[in-house]
Amino acid sequence: MTTALDVCAITKRFGALKAVDEVSFRVSRGEIMGFIGPNGAGKTTTMRICSTLELPDTGDVQVDGVSVTENPREARRRIGFMPDSYGAYANTSIDDYLDFFARAYGLRGAARTAVIERSIEFTSLGDLREKYIDSLSKGMKQRLCLAKTLLHDPAVMILDEPAAGLDPRARVELRELVKALAGMGKAILLSSHILSELAEMCTTITVIERGQVRGSGAVETVAQGVTSGQRIFVRALAGVDALQRRLLELPQVSKVHAEREGLAFDFLGDERALSELLANLAASGLGLIEFAPKAVDLEDVFLSLTEGKLQ
Amino acid sequence: MSTQATMTERLGDRLNPILVKEVRQALRGKYFRVLFWITLLVGTLIGLGVIAEAGSEPSIETGRVFFMTIFGVLSAAVHCFVPFSAFLSTSAEWDENTYDLLIISNLRPRQIVQGKLLSALIQALLYYSTFGPFLVFAFLLNGIDLGSVAVILAGSFALCIALTLSGVAASSLASNKILRVVIMALFGLGLMAVWGMSLGLAAAITFEPQVLRSIEGQVAFVVFLTAALVLALLANAVALARFAHEEENRSTPLRVIATVIVVFATLWGTWLVAEFGAGEAMMGCQAAAVLLSFLPWLLLSTEPEELPRRTSASAPRSRVLALLQAAYIPGGGRGALLCFLLGALAVSGSLLGMRFASGSLPIALDVTVAVAAMYAYLLVFSTLAGGIGAYFVRRASARLVLRIAVVVAVPVLIIVPSLMAIFLDSNDGSDAFSHGFNPFYVVYALGQGERPTLALVGLALAVALSLVVNAPRVYSGLCEILAASRTVRTKGTDAPAA
Repeated sequence: MTTALDVCAITKRFGALKAVDEVSFRVSRGEIMGFIGPNGAGKTTTMRICSTLELPDTGDVQVDGVSVTENPREARRRIGFMPDSYGAYANTSIDDYLDFFARAYGLRGAARTAVIERSIEFTSLGDLREKYIDSLSKGMKQRLCLAKTLLHDPAVMILDEPAAGLDPRARVELRELVKALAGMGKAILLSSHILSELAEMCTTITVIERGQVRGSGAVETVAQGVTSGQRIFVRALAGVDALQRRLLELPQVSKVHAEREGLAFDFLGDERALSELLANLAASGLGLIEFAPKAVDLEDVFLSLTEGKLQ
Repeated sequence: MSTQATMTERLGDRLNPILVKEVRQALRGKYFRVLFWITLLVGTLIGLGVIAEAGSEPSIETGRVFFMTIFGVLSAAVHCFVPFSAFLSTSAEWDENTYDLLIISNLRPRQIVQGKLLSALIQALLYYSTFGPFLVFAFLLNGIDLGSVAVILAGSFALCIALTLSGVAASSLASNKILRVVIMALFGLGLMAVWGMSLGLAAAITFEPQVLRSIEGQVAFVVFLTAALVLALLANAVALARFAHEEENRSTPLRVIATVIVVFATLWGTWLVAEFGAGEAMMGCQAAAVLLSFLPWLLLSTEPEELPRRTSASAPRSRVLALLQAAYIPGGGRGALLCFLLGALAVSGSLLGMRFASGSLPIALDVTVAVAAMYAYLLVFSTLAGGIGAYFVRRASARLVLRIAVVVAVPVLIIVPSLMAIFLDSNDGSDAFSHGFNPFYVVYALGQGERPTLALVGLALAVALSLVVNAPRVYSGLCEILAASRTVRTKGTDAPAA
């Protein structure tokens, strides 16, 4: 696939704080990359650099082959940026809002009308087009912002927390819209705290913490990287603390962490060793209730790669 | 579709997008509608009151009072409400989180500023057209001749443009809401002061129409228009810089305008002295230049020190050219260098101009000392603060706080010692404002032929301190531009032949 967004070793300092530290990753056309990290990890700063709103101290970003530092105006034509804080004008209807931004992107006459119609149709805002933005629900405002972002048909879309504050229905609708955009060949970089949402949407992820990339690539590849051996979930009547003490005494057990009412851990041994581990736990008088292999999900990846570790 | 409709649509396409949006918003919003009707109502009621007071046989005086009353209301609208609405409109881009969306659209900074200006001017034109019949009525009452009305309205419109651009520029200075409220308060106070000034000028023309027939009056009017134009250009440059991408060279246009202000003032002063033989004209022009230069000099000398990456890449290849251009290339140290050079230019220009125009060396020296004092204060307030701040300030927010602190420090330094003198001095406090921290007193005293020695020594020491504080960063700034020039040369040599 063709690379549409190439982030190359960008660094950004704010005074003494290194907000972004040598961050690199790539997003191809048709790819949805989830950009994950705790608050203050540097996600928004990275996205703002990609959108030409901030300037990296070092490094560069290529948007569809255009450098954001050398040719920001040209890069902007290829980027659709949807910020986390939604921008709306007072006393403005949906039609007027889209008309303004279409004009701002240099669209004229029939072309402008066609583009607005297409965006409204894609985001299903047709019935509300005369309504003032102030009166729209959060979900509708997000749709409108997405419609605005689509007006100039960008190759790369950067969506900062698009699902924040949306109700479940609006989230599902947004997910479908994003998938449709990827189907249209757009490269999408999307940040969110709702990992289950990202898991359903993203083909690749980049995990960032304290300004540094902790892992990047296809979800399965990154997941394999964070687990050593196989991951097991275990639950016992004796409770989490006693179970954790016992697990940490056993060989080939690592990365023990709390999950639901039990614990999850990585086990390095083979099937025979796993059988012995199970027997050992069963014999330890902890009252074993559940012992099962567990698929690594995005939450596990996130917790393993960031500061959520217990071990 | 008819030809006319097609033409209209094409014309509509050509309109500035910001203008279209702002006019739509203004017509639907409450701010303009409410203020417009209130202004009209107040103007009508006061006008009717004046007519009623005059009785059945209105005199010329009645016409003049009627004109001034209506102009007072119109001036409040076009010199306060309209610029303030431009301030609020730009401010709303921050508050409504649309600033980033504007920046990353295809709109150029020039289009954004023009759109804000044009939409405000449309509101102003609505006020002018509404109050036009009232002003004609004042003419019918024999209160004022049409020439005076035209001059007052032309001056008023020029001032409206300058103030509106100032509103856009002032509002674009800070993204932080609290700082913007501080700026808004200062801007609001400034508008009130300008309103008072515009009423004073209009009254002078209305009640003494012969002023405009004298050459002095006509020159004063042209000087006024020049000052408004320079203020408009300055505000435009500041606003453009704020709306431009961080990577763009946002500083050079401001530096050029800062130079134009000093050159204009010196040439105007010289011409006025040669024409009318009054040394005060040079002082007046330079005083206006100092007031207009305060903000740009402060901005230039408090800029970040480092060359932006793209500006660095476009440095001149020639070492000599790089050094010659250095003062016009972004960077706080190079900004301080430009301020010192412009100060020197103003002082030497005033001396030469006065010598040439007045023919008297003692008079030329007297005026030059006063001009030197003005620029010394300007240098101290801008470059000393910038020089000290350069050692501590790194973040953009801290830089903005420093700039606002300097703006606030100027009146504080004038007022606090005066208040102390009033409370502590056993005298009646009549000379409380006669102290060295008050530039107006020192310059006035010099203009009167006095020599406030202590203040002048303190001022000279402060300028010397400013030179010492700024010398290292000016040196670094020059080294940086030479290094950039070297890099460009090296790259040029390394690049394969096309």
